[in-house]
Amino acid sequence: MSATAFLALLLISLAGPSSVQDEFLTVLMEPDGTGVWRDLVFRFNREHPGPAVHLIEGPPATNTREDMYTTSFLSGGASYDIVYCDVIWIPKFVAAGWLLDLSDLISEQDRADYLPVELRAGSYQGRLYRMPAFTDAGVLYYRKDLVAHPPETFDELMQIALRLKTNDRWGLLWQGKQYEGLITVYLEVLWGHGGEWIDDESRKVLLGSPEAIRALEFLKATIGTVSPPAVTTYIEEDTRSIFQNGRAVFLRNWPYVWTLIQRRGGPMKDQISVVPMVHAPRHSSAATLGGWGFAISKFCPNPQRAWQFVQFLTRPEQLRAVQQRQGRIPSRRNLIPAEFLSILDSARMRPRIPEYAQASDILQRWLSAALTGQVTPEEALREAARETQLLLAS
Amino acid sequence: MRLSSFWRAESDARNVLFFLPAAILLGLVVVYPILRTTILSLFHLKLATQFQAEFAGPENFVRLLFDSRFHNSLKVTGLFTAVSVALEFGIGLLLALAANALVHGKGLVRTVLLVPWTLPTAIIAVLWTWIFNDQYGVLNALLMKTGITTEAIPWLAGPHTAMAAIIMADVWKTVPFVFPVLLAGLQNVPRELHEAIEMDGGGAWAKFKYVTWPHLLPFVFISIIFRIIQAFAIFDLVYVMTGGGPGGGTETVSLYSYQTYMRYLDFGYGSTLVVATVLILALTAFVLHTFLHRRYERQF
Repeated sequence: MSATAFLALLLISLAGPSSVQDEFLTVLMEPDGTGVWRDLVFRFNREHPGPAVHLIEGPPATNTREDMYTTSFLSGGASYDIVYCDVIWIPKFVAAGWLLDLSDLISEQDRADYLPVELRAGSYQGRLYRMPAFTDAGVLYYRKDLVAHPPETFDELMQIALRLKTNDRWGLLWQGKQYEGLITVYLEVLWGHGGEWIDDESRKVLLGSPEAIRALEFLKATIGTVSPPAVTTYIEEDTRSIFQNGRAVFLRNWPYVWTLIQRRGGPMKDQISVVPMVHAPRHSSAATLGGWGFAISKFCPNPQRAWQFVQFLTRPEQLRAVQQRQGRIPSRRNLIPAEFLSILDSARMRPRIPEYAQASDILQRWLSAALTGQVTPEEALREAARETQLLLAS
Repeated sequence: MRLSSFWRAESDARNVLFFLPAAILLGLVVVYPILRTTILSLFHLKLATQFQAEFAGPENFVRLLFDSRFHNSLKVTGLFTAVSVALEFGIGLLLALAANALVHGKGLVRTVLLVPWTLPTAIIAVLWTWIFNDQYGVLNALLMKTGITTEAIPWLAGPHTAMAAIIMADVWKTVPFVFPVLLAGLQNVPRELHEAIEMDGGGAWAKFKYVTWPHLLPFVFISIIFRIIQAFAIFDLVYVMTGGGPGGGTETVSLYSYQTYMRYLDFGYGSTLVVATVLILALTAFVLHTFLHRRYERQF
């Protein structure tokens, strides 16, 4: 190939995409295992004439999808117009100026229908950037054929788990791998002891408290006694499969487990019940809020069309369709199953700071180091507090 | 000068012209990023500065000196590189010697051994994660069936066993890279020299020491330097198998720089991490080159 031809090709490839992209919009989602998203996007395109919306199925790891959005935003291009957005991305994405303000678009009726905590979680500095779609909160599953009275405190949980543990049945399962899930588990134990991680307003780190140490000591004490030694490598699905095979008494996980077990039936269907996470005496249960919603990229060339799409997907009938096929729980109050309403309603948010990802990584590393016996819980939390304070001060 | 004679004549101008397309391409994809990363490492450019560059001077490098997470990742990367490259070289050399002695089927052996190298690393990482799983992993099943252990070992749960697991997966994947390079080197060794040693009454060890090894040295250098550079940049295996855990026990430098760039949106400090890593790597390559090259020169 001659140099001229090469340069010509290079120029064409650099100039290419922009003209094509105005004609359709894209939304990056999770892998569409059930096909429900494909059906909904197809229906939207058929019923609403205009530029088509294309569905892109991303990888299952939410971190990876966060990185894909980040890369696309950083390049200033509109690779993804509509963002299927995790609750913890909001402060970072908004502080970077990547999302459109939806505050004036959402109807009063919708505002009243959604869980208040979800609307707060989708907002940053008083403005709404994400339409809620599905809500998650950590809960405690237990085998009601084995446990007559579910525990309310950490001590009771430990005692019952120890008593019912056998050679091929573990007492308690939770997610202990060094990843975001470990944070959600630790926060529930921390809040249940009356502690806190970071104060959003003052940006103070509160990990030095005795409550924080007691919370970490509780998790550590379960390893090898009521929880498998490898619990420090587990994520949600590892724990669910062990629990669903009848090989554990208690499981800390998200509501989707309930839907899956109810739907697939089998022997476990009538043996499982769900309660809020346990707490220390004189304190109350806490669940970590998770959840998904839709935001619109600032680089989207056709925000009206994108908003039309978001409105369509977050209507009750669409949310119900996803609920039925995927097991997710909608954020609209009257679609939430009775078992979960009060737990979801009182779920708590993780710190709402733009530096969240880094703060979370610091805590993940030190929690994991303490849980795997590389440092003591006190040392771990002291170091985590020091590093986090340094991060938030800079 | 007529145009046709310009193309035919050995002139500098013509040679430069031939070189230009490649130079432009390299400039775009190699030189520019290197320059930009180096310059960025002297700036604060992050979310907190609203993505505006603020001159930082040596501040990022000072931060590096006191960043315990960087020190830890450097230690992890160094350990991983040393152990995995040593194992890969040792096993690769033994396999190459064995394969070179084969009369028939050399091609078949080479092809079969190459298979792990051709598979995508992320997929290999998922496979090895299953192999190392404590509940249903095949490795624990084998260890327990043969009575080597009585209880399942949670491989990825401890920092040392997790490191061992990652090294095992890496060795499995990259011996097939070292092996053919060394085999090619062995096939270059002149047979007459071996025969000469036989006539002088030398044994197998003498043959290896005085003939095979000196001829192999350039190939040893190539395979080792390539492997060190690749191992030092290890990302995908760790990212999938442990995510750098537990407790940062397997967090490599490239994983840390990636997190700093992509998740913390701190491009200034992320660039500093990359620049520091490249400098360390360049120094290693230089030392290794001088060391091996001198030996090579001395032999002949």
